Amino acid sequence: MAPDALQGIVRQQTNPARWNGKAWSAFVADLQALGVEVAESAATRGIFATDAGGTAYGLPHGVVIAQSATQVSALLKAAQAHCVPVTVRGGGLTTEGESVAYGGVLLDMTGMSRVLAIDPVTMTVRTEAGIYWHGLAEELRRENLDYLSAPLNMTSSVGGTLGVGGIDVNSARLGCSADQAISLQVVTPTGEIVECSDNENAELFQRVILGYGQFGVITEVTLRIRPYTPLRMHYYYYSSLRTAIEDLQLLDRNDASDYSGILTIMDCAVNLLVAFDSDEREAAFKANWQQRLRGYGEFGFALCMAGHYALRPWRIGEALYLFRRKQAVFPEFRRPEFHRDGRMDDRTVVFSRAVWKHWGSRNMVIPDLATSADKFIEAVERGNKVCRKFFRHYTLYCVGIRLRPEHKPHYEMSCVPPDAEGWAYGCEFEPMIEGEVYSRDHFQSFKNAIYDIGVDLGASYYRFGGMMKGYIRRVFGDALVDRHLAMKRQADPAMILNRDVIF
Amino acid sequence: MYSTAHPRDYPACSGCSLCRLVCPMWRHRRDPRFSPEGIAKARQNGAGVTELADVLDACTLCGACDPVCPEDIALSDMIMDLRGELELPPDLAVLQVGYAQAAAQAAPAPAGALLLAGAALRADPTLLTQVEALLGLRSAGDDGADLAVALEIGGDIDPQRKRRFLNAIDGRSLVVGDGLLLRELRRWLPGARLQGLGEALGSLPAIRRRIASTDFYVIEARAFHADHARLVAHYDGLRKDRGCAMNLDLQRIAMPARASAYPALRMGPAREDLEQARWLLQGRRPARIVIEDAAERDVLRRVADVPVLHLAELAALNEVTVYA
Repeated sequence: MAPDALQGIVRQQTNPARWNGKAWSAFVADLQALGVEVAESAATRGIFATDAGGTAYGLPHGVVIAQSATQVSALLKAAQAHCVPVTVRGGGLTTEGESVAYGGVLLDMTGMSRVLAIDPVTMTVRTEAGIYWHGLAEELRRENLDYLSAPLNMTSSVGGTLGVGGIDVNSARLGCSADQAISLQVVTPTGEIVECSDNENAELFQRVILGYGQFGVITEVTLRIRPYTPLRMHYYYYSSLRTAIEDLQLLDRNDASDYSGILTIMDCAVNLLVAFDSDEREAAFKANWQQRLRGYGEFGFALCMAGHYALRPWRIGEALYLFRRKQAVFPEFRRPEFHRDGRMDDRTVVFSRAVWKHWGSRNMVIPDLATSADKFIEAVERGNKVCRKFFRHYTLYCVGIRLRPEHKPHYEMSCVPPDAEGWAYGCEFEPMIEGEVYSRDHFQSFKNAIYDIGVDLGASYYRFGGMMKGYIRRVFGDALVDRHLAMKRQADPAMILNRDVIF
Repeated sequence: MYSTAHPRDYPACSGCSLCRLVCPMWRHRRDPRFSPEGIAKARQNGAGVTELADVLDACTLCGACDPVCPEDIALSDMIMDLRGELELPPDLAVLQVGYAQAAAQAAPAPAGALLLAGAALRADPTLLTQVEALLGLRSAGDDGADLAVALEIGGDIDPQRKRRFLNAIDGRSLVVGDGLLLRELRRWLPGARLQGLGEALGSLPAIRRRIASTDFYVIEARAFHADHARLVAHYDGLRKDRGCAMNLDLQRIAMPARASAYPALRMGPAREDLEQARWLLQGRRPARIVIEDAAERDVLRRVADVPVLHLAELAALNEVTVYA
């Protein structure tokens, strides 16, 4: 199909061509001789036919469930020898087909999902990388411990997250999930098993962290951990995105809260959530910052909205939608079994349940923009206009990410924009599908419109791989991309590992 | 959620993997094929029952997957239906016939509220007597144990047998020991006053006040998940009241102490049961383990060096007066 075959829709990238299967039989024979099971039934391959995005589809020739670094090493060595593409999958929460295999072998890392050692003295945990953050939290909690930050989605895997970043509502204070990693065990694309950290094989560590799976398979991870604390949550409501973002950034700049983020119902009801680990931090916030926030409480905002829509009766449909949405979603965040003495337990479970139940769908289309602090308001406001143009209803999710200057090498060609200092900010633009039928082309056109803003602003994206990889050179520039491509060719001579995700 | 049609079956599975997080079968094997999601996806890709036999035979029917599915797919029903298409396990068929014969010879149920003890509780007559005394109930001679086995294997239930059973208990308050039967009774007798054994005993003040904050309380998973939305509040109240730890995961799903299928057939714990029980207790240091399901006592005793007491046995102990 010609690039301009669909009028008005700029097509950046669609599913890559399926690998032709050459040498597959010999590859499988080699692995079977080593005792590695390769599942080739349609039923097994079909489990991995798509990712959380649900717009990219592909089937591997076979599936290997990860068992050990040694097994992964054998797999990668055989794949190099036979030039068989290897697609690595954790929780499968990509949205652009990055964890979908278009032929070749799919390596399911959730087979390696055991916690290996919890050390409450050094406050670290060693775990296999295929573990879901939820599984890790489950075992840490028994010791009254917790991870630092992780995506608000229970089925994200640790290894997959470290490969792309990982954002939590405490990232404005603690950084992205990838910044928690102290050291990794990595199987390189040529099959060497290597331990790496900022002090040991640092270059490999820099490339694998936030490296979109290009430079190795993470098999084990040592992470920082902390004592577990339930949260004291506060919600402030705004009718202006700009005002809410200004207040969010005010809190982040001044370290005024332990958790902060914005979750909206379109641009009509903008919710700034603020939370605390301790009574002391909460008291300091109330004394110094609460009165400076311009948001309303729930009741005040309801009155404000009632007045607003009373003067605009032709927008009654929008008002009813906001009301219905509030009725459906708010109780999910207030379920009594997750609250005790006014504090919320297990925030990831609460948020993740709500996300899957009230935002989840067969298609999850979540283009995003990641910018420096000073460009963020413009990025969100422009992205919001795009959402209004393409969908009836949508949600925005905004959060800050504290950057660690010593990790600058990790951030190269990642979701962290090159001009960000101190904090980067990210916004996800998520249409509410709500049973409507949209074509892939509509979604793709929407994503392109959002990503074009990023090119214009010199921003970055969390999801620039897979179907969106056409933006990589536009946003990062040829010089940087070519340098990474050269490194990739050196590390992965047959270019087998996570092919078509970035390169 | 992209469709509100009910009942929902495997075609609605979008592969979110939330069921894997709570599935004992997956936790034991770490293989996506061994999960409700794996079964649903396999079915979507044309797998027949024979191809799925190993997976279907490995499911514990704990029901943990049902309340966590954001698509509201009746995953346990899906698995039970598919099991019904498999060849009947011969040992279970024999067991079912034995229970059915015993039910046919049972005396008519006494008047009033009834205890449907279930096979596990009936296997311990002393405990059964304690339970009857505490609840002030008499056991039905026909407690539907053969029907519970039929549900376990997904087999057809003789309509006459079912009618006879339901006629004898309809209109009464029932305390049901078998979680799988309780789940089905809620459908068969929608207006009936039904309670699981754990909920009934745990609501008695004489027992409740003897639960200590140093206890590890093991909820019977099948009964709990069959009525999760209501019981999660009941057990949250118990936990807040007594301060004990429970076998609830972070999603408030009950993790069973065993991970093997067809528990009625087991003479002793299987390897996966021991592994599951060890994992359940990992990182916990309780003074006692309190169980609702007598069938979980054996495996917990083997992996723990603290007393394992059935809820009913607490009543005979000195009252807990101090919260630890």
